[in-house]
Amino acid sequence: MKSYTEKIKEISKGLLEEGKVDMVIGYRKGSVPLMHQPFFAQNQQEIDEFVWDSNCGLNLANYVTDRQEKIGILATGCNSRNIATHIVEGKIKREQLYIIGIPCKGMLDRHKLAAMADGPITTVEEDEEKGTVTISGDGFSETVDKTEALQQNCSICVHRNPVIYDELVADEVKEQTRDEVDPYAGVKEIEAMSPEEKWAHFDDLLSACIRCYACRNACPLCYCPLCFVDESKPQWVGKSIDPTDVRTFHFLRAYHCAGRCTDCGACVRACPVGINVRDFTKKLEKDCFELYGWEAGMSTEQRPPLDTYKPDDPEEFIK
Amino acid sequence: MKVIKIDKNEWADGVEKLHDNYRLIGAVREKSYHIFATLKPGQKPEMEYVNSRISPKYVIYPQSEIILECSMDENDEDYKVYHEPGDKNYEEKAVLGVRPCDADSLPLVRRNFDTDEYKDPYWLQAFETTTLVGLACDAPCPSCFCTSAGSGPYNDQNLDIMLVDNGDHYLAEILTDKGEKLAGAAGWDKDTEQGAEDSIEKRKTGAESKITSKVNTDNLANQSLLDLYDATIIWEKAAFACINCGTCTYACPTCWCFDVQDEVHGRQSYRIRNWDSCMYPLFTHHASGHNPRGTKLDRLRQRFMHKLKYYVDKYEDGIQCTGCGRCVSLCPVNIDIRRICNMMNSYDPESCTCEVTAS
Amino acid sequence: MKNLLEHMGIEPERLHFSWISSAESTKFVDVATKVTEAVKSLENKEKKFVKTKPKVA
Repeated sequence: MKSYTEKIKEISKGLLEEGKVDMVIGYRKGSVPLMHQPFFAQNQQEIDEFVWDSNCGLNLANYVTDRQEKIGILATGCNSRNIATHIVEGKIKREQLYIIGIPCKGMLDRHKLAAMADGPITTVEEDEEKGTVTISGDGFSETVDKTEALQQNCSICVHRNPVIYDELVADEVKEQTRDEVDPYAGVKEIEAMSPEEKWAHFDDLLSACIRCYACRNACPLCYCPLCFVDESKPQWVGKSIDPTDVRTFHFLRAYHCAGRCTDCGACVRACPVGINVRDFTKKLEKDCFELYGWEAGMSTEQRPPLDTYKPDDPEEFIK
Repeated sequence: MKVIKIDKNEWADGVEKLHDNYRLIGAVREKSYHIFATLKPGQKPEMEYVNSRISPKYVIYPQSEIILECSMDENDEDYKVYHEPGDKNYEEKAVLGVRPCDADSLPLVRRNFDTDEYKDPYWLQAFETTTLVGLACDAPCPSCFCTSAGSGPYNDQNLDIMLVDNGDHYLAEILTDKGEKLAGAAGWDKDTEQGAEDSIEKRKTGAESKITSKVNTDNLANQSLLDLYDATIIWEKAAFACINCGTCTYACPTCWCFDVQDEVHGRQSYRIRNWDSCMYPLFTHHASGHNPRGTKLDRLRQRFMHKLKYYVDKYEDGIQCTGCGRCVSLCPVNIDIRRICNMMNSYDPESCTCEVTAS
Repeated sequence: MKNLLEHMGIEPERLHFSWISSAESTKFVDVATKVTEAVKSLENKEKKFVKTKPKVA
């Protein structure tokens, strides 16, 4: 990853020096393990702070919404698909962006690693050659295969290379195919349940939710000036932590992301209580793929399926 | 102050006995972390947890709470006349194993709910009926900085009883009448052996030495409020990263802001008090449509200025933070209050620079 | 819409979509009867998304 970081710094320097962009958006090293900070650089001193490794799991597309500047931005596969979605939805113009493409090898799951650790983690080291990750803290040290430490959305990802970019920081990585990984294994598990079991599964999933909206706010798709949960005239949904209201928030938000979600996992990563918000969004992603053959953000030309009408749209649900 | 010895098996027996007189609340494991929850008879509080995920402030100040209700039926006596719900429960309760940093947040929060002019009946009743049995903290997190935030791993000032884990037994400082009463109800009264206080002191020094991260606060009161307010260098980068979620404020033991909402179901109306967060766009959004904190930067600045400047100036008693470190470890974009505090403390308005620490 | 609602545990019998033209009165009666019967068959199941009092402190 050192080579990625160096290349990012080099490209950023060039872009800023030549005046091609006003700022470059990337990450700087975080003050706690597994957590880097989205950061923009405008001069050499700030460029020096840039870092790239497996702890850059938020979605930087979230940081260009409605911006007016010319921006250099780092983009992995999923991030680039959200940038494409932003362009389609008019949240940023392609000409404003210089996309620095990052062939991505997946991000570490901070929730999973914290649960694995025998105490608070103080250091995380990645051995790229061996493909391992070592987490350690006061009195413990544990090494696991990186494949086991990845965020779930990364381990099933089939678009690790950016779909749009101006320049790549390294050669493309090998894509995983749908034969090798089943992106919908998690969804199928829930689909196999009875209605009672499903209801109980989501009850349990959301029991810890504190409605901090970190999932919504980390999501590049959630850019509405006033979210439906914040509206008070009419009040669509109660604002307390009543379980009905909490569930209403989560499933309606998921609908708003239908056909737009790239399964970047930022929602899950941001959640302070470790809720797998993807149990909602991934179902819709699967439906869009199966019903419309659609994957979000693969081009800057096409609008998402729920945004368009075609005479042959599936309608089996209408009796 | 009296110090007694509680063997660990006596501890377990005593906890069982306490169920008769108290609703017991303790740390329990919820999935991959700990929360504070009401204990069922036979259920033991986990004492060796490392910081509960969310602070236990909700034991006294619930995230959502019905504060008033009324009928919407013309035939009822309380038609549109709000009154306190009849089923409010202020039974005696005891929190077992609370950490000193969380207990130390209560007097800070109290400043908001208990003033000469206004008394919040909900918070005060809940507080007054709560007995805090703390456990001195021997295993602080890397993100803890309590010792420089007016608290400490062995701070017993805001506890009723403080337990110190001493191998096969606890040494228990009985600090208040409430604590005395609870120890009596549990049947804990064994005298300590010689040197108990020395061993508490020794453990305290050991625990304090483990806390290596700190905040500098000595210069906050001297700083000009407006200079800090305008210090782009402090706010710009943090505000850029901030996603304006409520994680920091909801996890925080000292955040006290709330929002009041009405809900009508059938013929019944409920007035609910919910935690609010200064990170939200609706926070202080005026009815006129104007919002004095209309941008992300304004809101982020509000949180830190409140805790580290307005509060400092108003009460002249330190910062509104006890160093529990939750916001540091939970913030999804790594906005670190230690870093911001140190920047605010060292800001030089002449050169518009400040010392930037790693954490 | 239907898929995600069912995915999170709403019984399929609860949600129905039909296209009925204003001229199709018999279809309307037929659908209304079927919908009512389907929903009635769930009488003994837990009610979902029905809030009578906020479940809070």
